Amino acid sequence: MDNFLMIENVNKVFNEGTPLELVGLKDINLDLQKGEFVVLSGPSGSGKTTLLNLIGGLDSITKGSISLDSLKIEELKEDKLCDERRDNIGFVFQAYNLIPVFTAYENIEYVMKLQGVDEKSCKERVEDVAKKLGIEQYLHKLPSKLSGGQQQRVAVARAVASKPKLILADEPTANLDSRSASELMDMMERLNEDENITIIFSSHDPMVIKKAKRLIVLKDGEIVKNEITS
Amino acid sequence: MYKLIVKSAFASLLRRKLRTFLVILMISTSLWGLLFMQSYYDGMVYQMINNTVRSDCGEVSVFAKDFRQNRDIKQHIKNEKEILEFLKNDENIKSYISRVQSDALVATARYSKNSIVYGVDIEKEKIQGEIDRYIKEGEFGFGAKNRGAIIGYQLAKKLKVKVGKKIIISAQSIDNEVSSISLKVSGIIKTNNMLFDERAIFIDKKKAQKFLGFKGVNQISFMLNDYSKVELFKTKLKNSFKDLEVYDWGELYPALLQTKDMMAIYNYINYFIVFLTAAIGIFGVVLVSVLERLREFGILRAVGTRFKTIAAMIFFESFFIGFIGFILGSILGGLSLYYFSVYGIDLSSFEAALDEFGIDAIVYAIIDIDYFLTAFFAVFCATFLSVLIPLRVLKRSKPVEVING
Repeated sequence: MDNFLMIENVNKVFNEGTPLELVGLKDINLDLQKGEFVVLSGPSGSGKTTLLNLIGGLDSITKGSISLDSLKIEELKEDKLCDERRDNIGFVFQAYNLIPVFTAYENIEYVMKLQGVDEKSCKERVEDVAKKLGIEQYLHKLPSKLSGGQQQRVAVARAVASKPKLILADEPTANLDSRSASELMDMMERLNEDENITIIFSSHDPMVIKKAKRLIVLKDGEIVKNEITS
Repeated sequence: MYKLIVKSAFASLLRRKLRTFLVILMISTSLWGLLFMQSYYDGMVYQMINNTVRSDCGEVSVFAKDFRQNRDIKQHIKNEKEILEFLKNDENIKSYISRVQSDALVATARYSKNSIVYGVDIEKEKIQGEIDRYIKEGEFGFGAKNRGAIIGYQLAKKLKVKVGKKIIISAQSIDNEVSSISLKVSGIIKTNNMLFDERAIFIDKKKAQKFLGFKGVNQISFMLNDYSKVELFKTKLKNSFKDLEVYDWGELYPALLQTKDMMAIYNYINYFIVFLTAAIGIFGVVLVSVLERLREFGILRAVGTRFKTIAAMIFFESFFIGFIGFILGSILGGLSLYYFSVYGIDLSSFEAALDEFGIDAIVYAIIDIDYFLTAFFAVFCATFLSVLIPLRVLKRSKPVEVING
């Protein structure tokens, strides 16, 4: 099977060459297959978010290479990188990060609109995803009128609606109560199975870790454990 | 996508309603002021030019060669009929007059002043410049046996004469003899053409020809149906009558032309001030708005929005402020201009001072579509330029940093 995501000798140094220099990641090597359900775990400051940001092209690599579906992320120019995120990567953030002036519906359809999907297909896809995530009744509400759990579902819907190959979820359950967190994880698991989307979580929530099919543990910027759990 | 860009721009403006309202108010009131000032100044200049054109030179005047330099009545137009026939047959000519003109001395029992005597056909003068509407006292006519004279307002003031009083006009006749004529003031005219009000005396054309001893005229003036064809017509006239000098009003009154040009420059300075006001106002709002929403823009970039799409959102936001300000300012300005174009701006309390500059006490505003187009252009440029720095700030921010705070 071809490697879907290849991370080779990736290093990330913050404030390089200054007195505030900090090593975020050190010689990270990782190969993931399409459709994997991965949890990045580890204590705060271990480099989970940094690794997700590098994979998503939100931050630049100091050294090494990341290939997503044979495309080298670090070689892409800004616009191409944007297009890559738009077409192939979905993000779910800890703080939901929905656009406050858009309704839930508009937040979900936003990336599809960027992709140039027509109105009818957008509507069908939003309704389909909303149904799967149980948020049909909230679609025309602004994020400020939704609870944390509901906002996070909308954020997940936004991430999956555009049919990305990869979803990067940075501590998506951190701001949720245990019931909402469990429901969210179940939904993510179903999406992974139904739509064969590769999902990488960062979390130190035991409930999330328990759901992982592959667990990668980071410590001080290095991978200390990489095992398939189921 | 376009709908979302527009919605995002509108929604972000509504987030800070008071701030947005104040900037729109600032733009609209400054635009209102600009439109009012431009309209007032243009109205003032237009009236000055109009007064001169109507009372004196028409849009184009022709003189015998060298008459304007020498002021010698021997250099008069000898082929008046031929020229008038030429003008009559041209469809672009709206009206025409011919005048006898000579420097003269006008005296009362106690005072005397230099003046210019104009021998005119009173009925044609009424048609050409509706000059009878300038009459301040008495009548626009020469009375029984044409023994009346209409004199300029300032000249009457200096001579201390009123309607009905006798004046003696003396001038050099064509035979180089001093010729005099005694007439009664039948009317006093106030045109606000300073030269005219201070020196003009209108008398009957035939009486003037008899008094000065020649049959011709010194000046033929006319108005065109389409002033844009003035140069074409001047050339045509010059080619047809080689012995004539042809001038448009701007050549005869260069100071007026300069005033017009100066006012145009002044108006451009006003536009620049409004442009700057709008730009600074919008810049402030957009910059703060961008800084407040760096995280939001970071998210948009993270989910795959290209920078140019975000730039379009910010530009729309800026454009909405400018456009709404423009619409409000244009409505307020347009209504005000309409009112003042009908009722005028009455500065009668400053009439004495305005008289010194040949400015009418009541100035009628002018409404020109160009005002609004130029204002729109200025506001559009302001909206465009005011977003450049906020966009630069945004461009330099990294999504990962702004998302994570």
